[in-house]
Amino acid sequence: MKTKLNSAILILSVLWAAKFFMVMVRAQNAPAHASDFTSVEYFDAPHQQQMKSRLSGAEAQPLAGGLLVVKKLKLETFGMDGKTEYIVEAPDCVYDTMQRTASSPGALKFQTGDGKFRVEGDGFLWRQNDSLLTISNNVRTVIENPAENKTKL
Amino acid sequence: MKFFYLVAFAIFIIGFDLDAQTNSTVTTRTRIESDTVNFDLNLNARQAVYTGDVRVDDPQMKLRCARLTVNLPADGGRVDRIVAETNVVIDTTNADGQTMHATSDKAVYIYEVQNGATNETVTLTGNARVENAQGWLTGEPIVWNRANNSLSAMNQKMIFRQNLDGMQPTNSERTKTNLSLPKSLDAAPGVIKNVDLNPF
Repeated sequence: MKTKLNSAILILSVLWAAKFFMVMVRAQNAPAHASDFTSVEYFDAPHQQQMKSRLSGAEAQPLAGGLLVVKKLKLETFGMDGKTEYIVEAPDCVYDTMQRTASSPGALKFQTGDGKFRVEGDGFLWRQNDSLLTISNNVRTVIENPAENKTKL
Repeated sequence: MKFFYLVAFAIFIIGFDLDAQTNSTVTTRTRIESDTVNFDLNLNARQAVYTGDVRVDDPQMKLRCARLTVNLPADGGRVDRIVAETNVVIDTTNADGQTMHATSDKAVYIYEVQNGATNETVTLTGNARVENAQGWLTGEPIVWNRANNSLSAMNQKMIFRQNLDGMQPTNSERTKTNLSLPKSLDAAPGVIKNVDLNPF
């Protein structure tokens, strides 16, 4: 009876240890993770108090080489008057913190602050240093304008 | 008392909605499709450059070209300059079903309001040619005024399809005509004003 009890305790102990080890391994593999992050860039002096752009994301997972895998990227740029000029959104992308670029083979949406100029496409590269955005495939744009009354001569 | 607040809130909502309907404006949509677009979002540039099988679908026209540069509108503004380059093809169809076909190396769309008047033009340069059921026109440049739907051209050459006694136009026999308006007209020599090639 005592032998059976000892065996049971031993088996339970081994299982517990194995489980603990698995948890440890999982914890060691799990990378650092950020959620709901925001990165803000300001204009040069004398407008250093005003936001030039705001980069935000729902999740960010770092990779080697200064790369970040970002979920639900949103980039907003602002004018000197504080009005939103452009909004760029992508469900997934990789942000290179060294080169200050964001890229993805996936979808991207771009629109002006008033929403009257909207662009969608697949595959993009955003170069933050020179404010250049390239959408490389399947680009679709909609421009909304107030209708003009046409008069025929 | 609660009932009074509910009624007051309902009146406020209805009033807001009516006001919104009163201020509603009709908008037109222009669609652009292409392989690639490059945005320059610098404050001094604000341009979108479309390349690769560019197609523009506008309520007034369809345009194809290899490269299209669009000035991005300011907040609340509208696109005021578009430049189409390389193998530009423009097709329009008016409400009566009349068509116009234009080709050129370059087409520049300008929208501006001066003293309350709207100027909306498309200027064709580089082998510019406009064709419709009546004939075709070449010139350098050819200016299509979208505000009043007229064409004007410098160094123009017009070729009319022969259409005698109500016969349908054919492509087999054509009459070639060089027009030159007298100086008495209010136009520079060699300029055709308000040639209603395609009354849109």
